[in-house]
Amino acid sequence: MKKLVLTPRGFSSIPIEADVISPDNFAGKTLQEVRELEVYYGNTVYPMKEYIHAQGQVSETPAEQIIVIDGDARHIKHIGEKMTAGRIVIQGDAGMHTGAQMEGGDITVTGNVGDWCGAEMKGGLIRVLGDAGNLVGAAYRGSPEGMTGGCILINGNAGTEVGSFMRRGMIVITGDTGSFTGVHMNGGEIMVFGKAGIRVGAQAKGNGGFIACFGGVEEMLPTYRYDTTFNPTFMRLYLKQLSENLGIDTTPYIDKPMKRYRGDLAVGGNSEILVKT
Amino acid sequence: MSFELNGVQVEDTFAEGFSMWGSRLIITAATQKWANIAATSMTGFATSVIACDCEAAIEREITLDESPDGRPGTMVMIYGFSRGKLSRAMLSRLGQCVLTCPTTAVYNGLPDNEADAMLDIGKSIRFFGDKYQVKMRMGDGWQSRKRFWRIPVMEGEFLIEEKIGAKKAVAGGNFLVMGETEEATLIASEAAIDAIHKVPGVVTPFPGGLCRSGSKVGSQYPFLRASTNTPFCPAIKHSFKESKVPEGVNSVLEVVINGLDQASVMKAMGVGVDAATRVEGVKWITAVNFDGKLGKFQMSLKESVEGV
Repeated sequence: MKKLVLTPRGFSSIPIEADVISPDNFAGKTLQEVRELEVYYGNTVYPMKEYIHAQGQVSETPAEQIIVIDGDARHIKHIGEKMTAGRIVIQGDAGMHTGAQMEGGDITVTGNVGDWCGAEMKGGLIRVLGDAGNLVGAAYRGSPEGMTGGCILINGNAGTEVGSFMRRGMIVITGDTGSFTGVHMNGGEIMVFGKAGIRVGAQAKGNGGFIACFGGVEEMLPTYRYDTTFNPTFMRLYLKQLSENLGIDTTPYIDKPMKRYRGDLAVGGNSEILVKT
Repeated sequence: MSFELNGVQVEDTFAEGFSMWGSRLIITAATQKWANIAATSMTGFATSVIACDCEAAIEREITLDESPDGRPGTMVMIYGFSRGKLSRAMLSRLGQCVLTCPTTAVYNGLPDNEADAMLDIGKSIRFFGDKYQVKMRMGDGWQSRKRFWRIPVMEGEFLIEEKIGAKKAVAGGNFLVMGETEEATLIASEAAIDAIHKVPGVVTPFPGGLCRSGSKVGSQYPFLRASTNTPFCPAIKHSFKESKVPEGVNSVLEVVINGLDQASVMKAMGVGVDAATRVEGVKWITAVNFDGKLGKFQMSLKESVEGV
């Protein structure tokens, strides 16, 4: 693996749109070419070097590239957008659209991340060690499908509309979520270990998707029907996966009874919400 | 021609194995007891395809670390003459013996990269859910992709993996333990089975791993396609002209082994023969073959023993 370190030249209240920051765009270029890649500062195009200093090695293929962003990147949007391989480590906060439409590789954010993290993600892994904004793994407005693969782990709280229009893949929130978690969801899994906000699963259709709420829900929609309280065997597989692959301590949740609700009946849905009792 | 092993004469011959399709399943349950009940029930009446729909047996109990869902479990193998026959046998046995058994779940024990084909077993059993079954997806886009079916049942939910791996395998590995007495022969054969069960990838489908009758192709009756293995019946050794029972031998037991590959079956034969020959009273070891007319695998006893 070859490591390239990007250092933002200070914080700016004007956002920088830097979808060029991805192993796919860097691989095969010289360091000078990388520095000349174009970013938007507000509505003006500049070479990346004006706002972000690059130093290190560039690999031949995306899979061999590690990009480390060392510093405050709250104002830098679209980091790792559409990336297919390699690794990005953001040592601090990251801006909106981080890992949006990403197809492979992994992104780690040691701080917080803005809205639309992993929006329409297709594959790969995003880990956020802090909190996330709204619309984690969601569909962009007008799109029929949000996340269709991959995994997003938020080791903190997340905002509203987590997994909106989600189709496949997994979103794990170890803290609380805002309202409308899993809205319009049609497949995929959302695991919330804190408390899920109001209107969880609104307009969700089903297709094997579920929302597991291990820390309870603020309020259950009346359009979800309570079925049973049971110990789902299948949940053991997910909890084992979270423990082995994402380092989450799932021991307190294994074999604990869960209430199963089905809905959203408002749209004839067959989605599940499982709430730990 | 023979050679000596632990003071016992071992005939320098071969076991004649034939090709079958084999699968491995992992059955888990709330307790080891229920996993074993399901596995025992599923592998019942599956000693030989002479009269059974398949050959099946328990391979071993698994550790909690090996268990896909962290619960106690048991690994079983099932063999059929074709992919279709194997599928049908698995479907009926899983449906009748495992789906019905409290708390069980079924997982594939033969991963995609080791299998020659992936059979739609869970995908077929799902229909039992009568449209209330739920498809469960795992690993999309970030890990190996897996599919399961959750089928509602009265007790709770039956979970089964969508595809079960199958591969071209080897059946009919065997050797005969020939002893001075019934007791010595049984003790030696049991020692052989204990040793064989430590070899991964093999099962012994007969009761307790042993076949006391043996069998030969055909009979003196036109309606019977298999009959007792007359050359190896001590009770008629002086009445049957072509008897192959050596002097001093009064009891013979056959160990029959099926495995996922020839190397595993030969290793099992080797450790089995080695264990059996360490028991006092064992006089002779040989293997059953049909002069190469039955199957394509010729597994030499000598090579098996040397491989241990």
